[in-house]
Amino acid sequence: MQDLDTHLPGIVGGDPDVFGRWVAACELPLRLGLRSFAATVDTEAVLQETFLRVWQLAPRFEPDGRPNGLVRLAARIARNLAISEQRRLRTDPADPTALDQSPPDDATPALRPTGDPFLRRAIADCRRELPGKPAQALAARLDAGGAEPDEVLAARLSMRINTFLQNFTRARRLLADCLRRHGIDLEAELA
Amino acid sequence: MATPETEPLIEAAAGAFRERDARGAVRFAPAWWDLDDAGRREAFAAACVNRAIEAALDPEGLSSTARAVLARLRRA
Repeated sequence: MQDLDTHLPGIVGGDPDVFGRWVAACELPLRLGLRSFAATVDTEAVLQETFLRVWQLAPRFEPDGRPNGLVRLAARIARNLAISEQRRLRTDPADPTALDQSPPDDATPALRPTGDPFLRRAIADCRRELPGKPAQALAARLDAGGAEPDEVLAARLSMRINTFLQNFTRARRLLADCLRRHGIDLEAELA
Repeated sequence: MATPETEPLIEAAAGAFRERDARGAVRFAPAWWDLDDAGRREAFAAACVNRAIEAALDPEGLSSTARAVLARLRRA
């Protein structure tokens, strides 16, 4: 099993590039671990807050000798943040559906291999087939890297915000259709 | 099931940009508040796909979530 704690010295040393590699490897399992909270909290906000807190807490983190200790800590932070937000919003924190589907606090999220070269090549090939406006919307979000609101990206492309969002949706669907032709069902793999 | 009315909200909530509040905490997406439970679940599923596509197209394998987080901690 992949042990992401090999990145720990670099993270503790304050190297954001090393932290980025750690995030890249564990983002998906941590995100999927929040699925049961999707209707009651904004999981994207919870996940970003989780990563920022892990970065702050990492210098004080003490490994317990088992692999992926920092990922397990991140999973606990994410779950506690989600529950805390549920309580703040006065949704039902004891929703049995959510609790039943939640892993125990010390569960290691299943880490999946990242950087699959076949998937990367297939997505890149499919991206080249996108028509103009959807390709522009996808490129705008990729270039922004989550640092600018869609309204700014839309204005830069001289699109109304709803047109921009429709084009992005179209880009994702066209990519998904193209990937299926390559034998990849991204949505099913992430389900 | 997304409708023409909810589709832009779902796509907006599935993006990675999030503002921060006065304490520095990451805020929920405005569009997320306007969705019902089913719409929020669709936004979650769309975000999973978006992040996978972004990471696959990024030379360092970073999604927009990862890029947003790294940009914030580099500014701090």
